[in-house]
Amino acid sequence: MANPETALARPAAPWAARRGLTALLEEWRDDAGLARCFTLDQTIEARTDRSGPIPEALAPMVRNALEKRGLTTLYSHQLEALDHAAAGRHFVVATPTASGKSLCYNLPVLDRLAREPDARALYLFPTKALSRDQENALRGLLKDASLSHGAVTYDGDTPGDARRAARERSGILLTNPDMLHAGILPHHASWARFFAQLRYVVVDELHSYRGVFGSHLANVLRRLMRIARFHGSTPTFVFASATIGNPKEHASRMLGADVALVGESGAPAGPRHVLVYDPPIVNAELGIRASYVKSAVRLAADLVRHEVPTIVFGQSRNQIEVMLKYVRDRLVADKIDPDVIQGYRSGYLPETRRRIEEGLRSGAVRCVVATNALELGIDIGSLGAVVCAGYPGSIASLWQRFGRAGRRTEPALALLVASSMPLDQYIAQNASMVVGAPVEEARIDPDNVEILVSHLKCAAFELPFEEGEAFGDVAPEAVGDGLGYLARENVVHAAPGPSGKTVFHWATDAYPASHVSLRSLGWDNFVVVDLDGDRTIAEMDWRATHTMLHVQAIYQHDGEQYQVERLDFPNHKAFVRKVAPDYYTTALTYTRVSITHEDDGAVITVRDGMPGRIPIAAGHGEVSVIEKVVGYKKIKFHTHENVGYGDVRLPEMQMHTSAVWWTFPEDLIRSLAVQEKVQRAIVVDALRGLGNALHLCASVGLMCDPRDLGRTLGDRTGDGDLPSKGDPLSSGERGGGFDPTIFLYDHVPGGVGLAPRLFATRDEMLERARTLIEHCACNIGCPACIGAPAGSTGAPPGLVFDGAKLAAPTTFDLKELALAVLGAAGLGRTS
Amino acid sequence: MTDLRGKLARLFQGAGPTETETSSVELVSPAHPDEARRARIAGLRALIAEKERVDRNSLRTKPLARAVPRDRGLPGTVEETPLGPLHRVTNYLLPGHRHGRIAIADALRARASSMAALALDPTLAEIDPSRMLFLDTETTGLSGGTGTLPFLIGMAWFEDESLKVEQLLLRRPGEEAPMLTRLAERFAWASCVVTYNGKSFDWPLLRTRAVMNRVRVPAPRAHLDLLHASRRVFGARVGSARLVTMEEAVLGMHRERDIDGAEIPALYWTFVRNSEGHVLVPVIEHNANDLVALAALVAVLDERWSAPAAHHDPEDRVSIARVAIRGEHHRFALEVASRVADEDPPPRIAYEALTVGADAARKLKEPHTELSLLSRAIDLCGDHPKVRDAHLRMAICLEHRHRDPKRALTHAELAGEDARRHARLTRKIERKERAKQRRPRAG
Repeated sequence: MANPETALARPAAPWAARRGLTALLEEWRDDAGLARCFTLDQTIEARTDRSGPIPEALAPMVRNALEKRGLTTLYSHQLEALDHAAAGRHFVVATPTASGKSLCYNLPVLDRLAREPDARALYLFPTKALSRDQENALRGLLKDASLSHGAVTYDGDTPGDARRAARERSGILLTNPDMLHAGILPHHASWARFFAQLRYVVVDELHSYRGVFGSHLANVLRRLMRIARFHGSTPTFVFASATIGNPKEHASRMLGADVALVGESGAPAGPRHVLVYDPPIVNAELGIRASYVKSAVRLAADLVRHEVPTIVFGQSRNQIEVMLKYVRDRLVADKIDPDVIQGYRSGYLPETRRRIEEGLRSGAVRCVVATNALELGIDIGSLGAVVCAGYPGSIASLWQRFGRAGRRTEPALALLVASSMPLDQYIAQNASMVVGAPVEEARIDPDNVEILVSHLKCAAFELPFEEGEAFGDVAPEAVGDGLGYLARENVVHAAPGPSGKTVFHWATDAYPASHVSLRSLGWDNFVVVDLDGDRTIAEMDWRATHTMLHVQAIYQHDGEQYQVERLDFPNHKAFVRKVAPDYYTTALTYTRVSITHEDDGAVITVRDGMPGRIPIAAGHGEVSVIEKVVGYKKIKFHTHENVGYGDVRLPEMQMHTSAVWWTFPEDLIRSLAVQEKVQRAIVVDALRGLGNALHLCASVGLMCDPRDLGRTLGDRTGDGDLPSKGDPLSSGERGGGFDPTIFLYDHVPGGVGLAPRLFATRDEMLERARTLIEHCACNIGCPACIGAPAGSTGAPPGLVFDGAKLAAPTTFDLKELALAVLGAAGLGRTS
Repeated sequence: MTDLRGKLARLFQGAGPTETETSSVELVSPAHPDEARRARIAGLRALIAEKERVDRNSLRTKPLARAVPRDRGLPGTVEETPLGPLHRVTNYLLPGHRHGRIAIADALRARASSMAALALDPTLAEIDPSRMLFLDTETTGLSGGTGTLPFLIGMAWFEDESLKVEQLLLRRPGEEAPMLTRLAERFAWASCVVTYNGKSFDWPLLRTRAVMNRVRVPAPRAHLDLLHASRRVFGARVGSARLVTMEEAVLGMHRERDIDGAEIPALYWTFVRNSEGHVLVPVIEHNANDLVALAALVAVLDERWSAPAAHHDPEDRVSIARVAIRGEHHRFALEVASRVADEDPPPRIAYEALTVGADAARKLKEPHTELSLLSRAIDLCGDHPKVRDAHLRMAICLEHRHRDPKRALTHAELAGEDARRHARLTRKIERKERAKQRRPRAG
């Protein structure tokens, strides 16, 4: 393969040196070796402007504000939003990034404030940074409209006196769901005036409220509506979302009521080149491709050289630090100041982040390597190119990132560099999905029992429940069941009310909201303390701690490496010291699943009903999942070889969730081992490979982020002690006598409904997995089918370790074996 | 949602929510030796209250309140009101009643001006001390928010020379409206509400309950929160601002079998669930004691302010002087502090008295008094490290009040390292020297 840098070495007079995106794209396309790797190179046509005059009905003050900004017309989607608001309908705006979405909710709100000076509005943003950003924008708008209503951010950082002002005077309150949940609703009596006048509730970044966070938010909204009703108001809800497959359905589920859709953007957009780069295969036998990290770095460096303002998105905090270092290293030869390339991720302290955002806007920073901390609508100005190193797990997220480039009418580049991860390969090989296919659907399950019950508690604390009362769209009978349970647990107390109906009162001295975290993460972040400087260099949520801050882990921050010397788990502190290793670490995790309740079970339909076939059983239901980090491996920089292992001792994390499973009877395994003349353990390894393929197919089938779906190979009964390393199923210690089972589980406590949907397509999933393995171009297995074969390298940071890969290199054809298992179960080749 | 019950059973089997720990709380055993005595006292109180009620109601046409049929062992009476039943425990304390060393009726003679001065709140200067309403609540939790119930609202006020204690009890959640209405009535009567930490706890909580129950309870006309006043006067000596600590150290009152405040919420839910009124008896007693302590504290605080006497603890009197400075009663502060200093108290207190006195003198613009008090402070210190602080005060006094940089520099040097001050003083000395040299020529 030709090095793309040779393209730059073409003889050209210095005065003819070409700069800019168009020139670079030509160079890339001219480079045959490089061009071969682009599995997609498509240009999305510029979108034309559809707009209309500002409606007569809009309050004159608001019209003035628009005119002060030079706006005499509004885009069609903004006009639509005003129509819905005027009719008092809840609505959701789902138009692309940078289409003027925020005006869709700001205009109706300002219009109302202009007509009704006492009116109030509540804005919810998923992060503090976003609400601060919007607060400034709103204040400008309010000022231009000569409205004296304040817009105040109310969150954990708001000082005491500002809090009082927010409660008593601010027309628009900006906050986040966590603050609403734990700081406002439980004290609603102090907010009586606010709730009594509440006219609009705006929920921005709706697509980010999926899974467990979204399910929690839906319940917080149920509580909000209940409190608003108590104080005498029924606000209109406005949602804003990135383009997802089901904005209307998602918003309606979130609210528990019908929500109208504003889905067609009338805003213009410049042409956008969408490219997918699949790194070339460097080892055909093992199906190994060149490092996507290095490929992304190389392409990003080209963009920086061509002076195209670029943002590079990485998958993990760890990874962006690696890329930051590589990009800077690579541009040293070009005499490009390393400071024009910056990292940006959630561990960075706020002032550092503000400085980088400012640098991006001013042009002092030309390239940013970021995690999805920059994905949400923080205003960083317009960029020429987005490089996504690795598929972010969903098309919606991918486009959210792509939307960062090309805010004006100029052409822009959106580039995905596929990793060797299975889903990436699936996308790379079916690249037209990126531009053509309908994007994913956001899913929540507000009726997840664990989540619902915890919010029933919070709601009972806020306001006693009366018998027969519904909770949002939860029927009175179900609410009654939940309250009955809480009454038996002495959490609420049932007493006859004035009207003769039973009333359920909060009956303990606890403050329930402080025990419920909306993000399913602990409230408290871990702080990372540099022992040499004795200062805090970063914060990290506790779930990431297990994999990134265990003792001896190499923690990467701002392009530097630190080794974790001590982890003070109870006090949420990690102590690190700067080191200069030639490796980084990645954690090895162990997972065990045991079934607590089977909701449904079935036998997989056998296609060729020949005698002697041993059918596979499938089921779904509630499970208990235990995850434990048992060790780590050291990966060498640049070559990515494994250079060692170590043990980790950390408490395990347990979760109750829902799962779907496929059980392979012991008889089937044994007969196949005899037939293929291999050890039983090898057959089990093949099953693990099949699990890999099933996981991939399920993620694609559900259009969900693969990380939302956990996977493990275990025993139907879930017995046995937790091993420290390796896996009893392949080590052969237990000799057999149990049925290996592939579990796919919802990766959030209680589950958000993925498992039942998978169970409904259990036959199809196996069939798809079989086809995937059968048609994969690799020789004996690769990450895109049954997972990387034993002894392979190139595991990217964050890849979940699967016990078997520690074993000695195998020479068995696990692909064939996996297909043979399916054959023996009556699911043979179709041809 | 159809199988919520089954799912609940499975998800939470064995490991119930943390809030269930209430059941593990030890109940007050009826076999307790004090129990009989307690019950007897309660019975007597109830008898008195009943008699008193009959007396008062005999002229009214309203139906009589009935005794409590439901909650065994619970003192008090229930009265039907338009908003629902109101449970009251009423007691009178005779004019001669003492709480520890203090005759509580002395609170009646407290001066509004003392209260305003000690609370640093001028709105209290206008109150009528005979219409103070002492207020204290017992609640189902300390976390605040809309889920915390004040289940016992204790009020006390003087009727003639007797203190009437009226405690409103929430027999079950949902019956708050009559209590809050009664509270609003008393608020309307009162010239001032007296609490301990009521500004940040009891009042916000009651205001929340008023909103929740849609009962109008206007804010009290004036609010004397004794926590702050007591801390200012006694905090330095007593160390803790808890009411029971103040009681022991200031009122000379020791409660024999006081209930632990942390147990109160659980006792209330035990009462609500089992209808066993006797478990609340110690809580009701505790609350009544707190109310009486408030009256006693008012009496003590008034005495400390309006008639500082030699038998009052000198450290408290220094604190009084400090409060006086904050309230701009500088002359009074100087007198109180000087007297303490003249009594030859322990050096630490003498030092405080001298420096506080000097502060008052400074405010009064009496530089010579200030100077003499500070010299005494320096002499008092000897080799004690505090002497540097005294020298620093002296240096400041000499530099700014006496315009004597030379002597100021001497003290500043004894006060320790402070290059900027030293340099400034040196400059001032030089300037003064030059001015002195110029003056004869001009003359």
